[in-house]
Amino acid sequence: MASYDLTQRIAPNLDRHLVFPILEFLQERQLYSDEQILKSKIELLNKTNMVDYAMDIHKSLYHTDDVPQDMVERRAEVVARLKALEEAAAPLVSFLQNPSAVQELRPDKHYNLQMLNDRYQIGPNQIEALYQYAKFQFECGNYSAAADYLYQYRALCTNSERRLSALWGKLAAEILMQNWDIAHEELNQLKEKVDDSKNFLSPLSQMQSRIWLMHWNLFIFFNHDNGRMQIIDLFNQDKYLNAIQTNAPHLLRYLATAFIVNKRRRPQFKDFIKVIQQEQYSYKDPITEFLACVYVNYDFDGAQKKMRECEEVILNDPFLGKRLEEGNFSTVPLRDEFLENARLCIFETYCRIHQRIDMGRVLAEKLNLNYEEAERWIVNLIRSSKLDAKIDTKTGTVIIEPSHPNVYEQLIDHTKALSGRTYKLVSQLMEHVQTQAAR
Amino acid sequence: MSSRFWTQGGSDSEEEESDYEDEVETGGAEAANETAGSRYLKGMASDSDDSDGQKRVVRSAKDKRFEEMIATVDQMKNAMKINDWVSLQESFDKINKQLEKVMRVTESVKVPSLYIKALVMLEDFLNQALSNKEAKKKMSSSNAKALNSMKQKLKKNNKQYEDLINKCRENPESEEEKDEDEETEEDEDEESEFEEDIVEGSDADEEEEEEGEEEADDVNDKGWEKKLSKKDKLIDKQFKNPGEITWETVNKKFKEVVAARGRKGTGRFEQVEQLTFLTKVAKTPAQKLEILFSVISAQFDVNPGLSGHMPINVWKKCVQNMLIVLDILTQYHNIAVNDIIEPDENETQKPADYNGTIRVWGNLVAFVEKIDTEFFKSLQSIDPHTREYVERLRDEPMLSVLAQDVQDYLERVGEFKAAAKVALRRVELIYYKPQEVYDAMRKLVDQVGDGDEKAGEEESRGPSAFIVVPEVVPRKPTFPENSRTMMDMLVSLIYKYGDERTKARAMLCDIYHHALLDEFSIARDLLLMSHLQDNVQQMDVLSQILFNRAMAQLGLCAFRVGLVAEGHSCLSELYSGGRVKELLAQGVSQSRYHEKTPEQERLERRRQMPYHMHINLELLEAVHLICAMLLEAPNMAANVHDAKHKVISKTFRRLLEVSERQTFPAPPENVRDHVMAATRALMKGDFQNAFDVINSLDVWKLLRNRESVLEMLKANIKEEALRTYLFTYTSSYESLSLDQLTKMFDLSEAQIHSIVSKMMINEELHASWDQPTRCIVFHEIEHSRLQALAFQLTEKLSVLAESNERAIEARIGGGGLDLPLRRRDNQDFAMTGAAAGKWQDNLSYTQGRQVNIRLGYAGSGRTVVLGQSGGYSRNRSGQSRGASGYSGGYRNSAARGSQMDSSARMVSLNKGVPV
Repeated sequence: MASYDLTQRIAPNLDRHLVFPILEFLQERQLYSDEQILKSKIELLNKTNMVDYAMDIHKSLYHTDDVPQDMVERRAEVVARLKALEEAAAPLVSFLQNPSAVQELRPDKHYNLQMLNDRYQIGPNQIEALYQYAKFQFECGNYSAAADYLYQYRALCTNSERRLSALWGKLAAEILMQNWDIAHEELNQLKEKVDDSKNFLSPLSQMQSRIWLMHWNLFIFFNHDNGRMQIIDLFNQDKYLNAIQTNAPHLLRYLATAFIVNKRRRPQFKDFIKVIQQEQYSYKDPITEFLACVYVNYDFDGAQKKMRECEEVILNDPFLGKRLEEGNFSTVPLRDEFLENARLCIFETYCRIHQRIDMGRVLAEKLNLNYEEAERWIVNLIRSSKLDAKIDTKTGTVIIEPSHPNVYEQLIDHTKALSGRTYKLVSQLMEHVQTQAAR
Repeated sequence: MSSRFWTQGGSDSEEEESDYEDEVETGGAEAANETAGSRYLKGMASDSDDSDGQKRVVRSAKDKRFEEMIATVDQMKNAMKINDWVSLQESFDKINKQLEKVMRVTESVKVPSLYIKALVMLEDFLNQALSNKEAKKKMSSSNAKALNSMKQKLKKNNKQYEDLINKCRENPESEEEKDEDEETEEDEDEESEFEEDIVEGSDADEEEEEEGEEEADDVNDKGWEKKLSKKDKLIDKQFKNPGEITWETVNKKFKEVVAARGRKGTGRFEQVEQLTFLTKVAKTPAQKLEILFSVISAQFDVNPGLSGHMPINVWKKCVQNMLIVLDILTQYHNIAVNDIIEPDENETQKPADYNGTIRVWGNLVAFVEKIDTEFFKSLQSIDPHTREYVERLRDEPMLSVLAQDVQDYLERVGEFKAAAKVALRRVELIYYKPQEVYDAMRKLVDQVGDGDEKAGEEESRGPSAFIVVPEVVPRKPTFPENSRTMMDMLVSLIYKYGDERTKARAMLCDIYHHALLDEFSIARDLLLMSHLQDNVQQMDVLSQILFNRAMAQLGLCAFRVGLVAEGHSCLSELYSGGRVKELLAQGVSQSRYHEKTPEQERLERRRQMPYHMHINLELLEAVHLICAMLLEAPNMAANVHDAKHKVISKTFRRLLEVSERQTFPAPPENVRDHVMAATRALMKGDFQNAFDVINSLDVWKLLRNRESVLEMLKANIKEEALRTYLFTYTSSYESLSLDQLTKMFDLSEAQIHSIVSKMMINEELHASWDQPTRCIVFHEIEHSRLQALAFQLTEKLSVLAESNERAIEARIGGGGLDLPLRRRDNQDFAMTGAAAGKWQDNLSYTQGRQVNIRLGYAGSGRTVVLGQSGGYSRNRSGQSRGASGYSGGYRNSAARGSQMDSSARMVSLNKGVPV
């Protein structure tokens, strides 16, 4: 199943620190050998300042208590640099930690800067130091401190580029701390920035930012309560969809899943099917193939098979396969939801082109249910008036009423506009006559 | 020669004969002497084979002139025999003309003795004829007239050569001897100089090999020098002694020669030769470079008009010169070539080891582009079915090596913009080559490599008299294994540094090449993302042609990978005007309706594609028509009632109409007939027949993956046959079983299920599956009489309302009314393409929907609907002309109606005849 693993395609678009949760998940699922994962973890950590953690992993990987010399050296270096940065940022940090002093800050940025400069001798250098300090904290894995400092920094910073990276940093920190609500707010702020083309030199870099944004958002969307609606809102915007199609077609998996799970997005859904069809050459996995089977080729047996594969994919995907622990159970809520909805998709389409379906053999099989369950399921559908059909128990079939456009409705449709048009015509004529008369 | 004469002249009088014999003999001796001389020269140069080739070229030109002259003399003799003064007069004129040529070729002031002898002979004959009064009377009037005029002409002409003629009469032998003397004299002259040169060579402390080279050169020089006119010879005397040559003298001479450029009376070839000589005596590398640039320019000048192309040997020399230029530039890093800054007068005086940059005026890119253009032009004008064309094509590696070297140099110097331009030229050399052709070219380069090496040396060795430039730049192009890698390499450079036009062209080539390799999706994405379709109208004609070519190739590619609808939308526009040839620049199409001015025609000819770059038109047409057939057949079957309403391919419909009008179908001959025959079969649902007809086309052998394409085609035909069948015959069935369909169309159950389901979902087919019995059950949606009438009524009502609105609009003027316009989604590829990423979907989906709506009131007042839609589209194009547009629309439809009537009548007439 490792062939459907997207980590390799997703990771380049994430921050180093954001890759950890994914690796953790993979370790848990045991898709790859432990050794492989631990090695890649060390590799990841090498560029960060989380040396202690790297040391631990090294020990568990090679089962020794020795630590390579360069790690020790690096640790000393990191500590020294931390000290230096702390000192540089100290005046501002102490100012910010003093509640009464913070009260003096006003919404006016220029005033604040002026005030800081005059009263506390905090100039641009100190502010810059704060940013560096925050960044360093983040690198060390101290996300909450980093988030705090970055928040403060943003209020004081004047450089728009710096502000943008501070925003990215804050978002990453919040995601890593799993503060989904705050992260979501950050996300919206960032999205505004990203959509503002003034911030970018070229359309290319803007698109790259969009892709980053979408990748980072995966964390939020599949953890936030309302996330699945929002993922459609965001990903299905033209600009973002274009970005996906151009450079990150693997994101289609998440969009497809969100569409299947959310039934109420019909109109966009149709367009989305076209996109999937078009991108078939550049990306496909069981989930998109499932959609293609149901909505493009009407291959229901194929869809059936794909559905089973989809289950596997979902379980092994770090975002989709999130687990909920309830007592002794651990369930994957998305899987159940997905399967239920997928089944509905199949059945719905199936009904549209059939007038009589054998319930016992075909339908139950198609729905992965036994006869009784299938009957109950259909009855429920009929009762909730989702389906215009009757069950014929004698022959064991479902009979679906063919739906014809009503002739009377059509006629009414045709003539509806006529009276309106006539009124308009007359009023226009009258107007004309009046202007003529006035002359 | 004499023997030939003998056989000819046997019948004439004795004395004359002997006379002639003498003359001819002397002439023959002359010629023999000439060749002997040349052999002698060759002997001199025996150390190196190189000079051979060059020498022979020069000689042959001279010889040719002489031969021509001899031939003319022969003609004259023949004319004399039959006493034909008219032709004699013509020959006389001719020989005078030839004399000029000979003089020019030999570069001498001395009139050839052959000519003089001819004059003597002519004079004698004339006198004889004049004295023979009786014969004169017998002559026809025109002959007599010619005789008289000849008399006068000869008198006048002979005055110029009086002494010579007299001398000749005195003793023909001495003339010849003298000739020989001269020859030897000159040879001696050469020899002495030759010695000098050797001295010089050893002085210069050069290696043995190079000495040999020098000798060869020198001989060349002599041969060349001999051809110079007297005046030139005088000036060249300055250069006789190599020790005396200074930078100044060379520079002075150079300025002089350059100043003569373009002036009347300056021979173009001569100038090239003079300059070439100067490159050999140039004192500094920079000067040599400067002169070389002028040589190249002069070589470009050789061909005067815009229409013709540079002579091929000149072109080759030009390429060699460019390579030498590059040699110099790579050898001496301190020389910079630039065309912006005017260098000072004595810039080139600076020696090779001058510390600092030496600027030389010149533009490498322009030269490369010009050379490339000339190559292109020569291919345009050479007949593609000759050996010459193939030979010419073999020169392509030469060009590519030059371009490659120039590009390398420019990149090294850091002029990436210029490098991008050169890279584009290279891209344009390979973009149309499929992998096989590319491989063939690589092999050619490898093969020719060795032979070429020699040839290259031979050419480039020539000029190293003072400034010896070793060959630094490679003389053999290097090609990557795969044409794609090469394209990627070049194209990425261009995208980075090129200007707008360069980039656009490179992009088009890139698209073309991707399409050639069957990478449809990549090519399509490139096309859509670059938004080339939006602004192709603003580009120059050549780029537009390239765009059309790319589109055609894209269409072929789409077809090959089985995307019929995409293929059709790519190609339909090309075929809509019936000017494919013109659009692809593959021949001139005659238009019946408007004549082209000669100017236009010339322009058009100038932008023709060389034959080897052509896209096979027959294949293109076949693909286009088959695509159209696959789309149209079910479409027509679905909309039988208002066939005019939704037309996918107008071209196809028109052809079909024509073929249907035939009384009985003949066996198919061309592509069109084949497709029409296939269509007829397809309309009946007979897929096997349709496929067989199409399969019998012989264009398929042009496809690389023929089997798979035909397989795909068969599958497509089956599917469309099924669809057509269902559309056509549903009304006759209550239900159809799946098994029966599988048997009929040789498709698997799953495929049929999928196809039919798709039709049901799109509501093209009013039916549904009955799963337990595996049947399709058709639903009747026939309206009752009352309902149908009601629909008609509403239809008429809306027409009424509409015409009211238009009437008022016409009165009030100005479109205040927002009429409910029915948007017709256009199928123009170019238009929909702009909305990136959604192009083909627009097509298929809207079609489905429209069919639906239409089916509702099919059968009700059809003509009215027709007229309306005409009016609608008119109106949409210009709101302000609302009323007039509307009436125009009506008139149009009325006209169409009458046309249809007349055509119907014609059909019936036709039918009447055989009965």
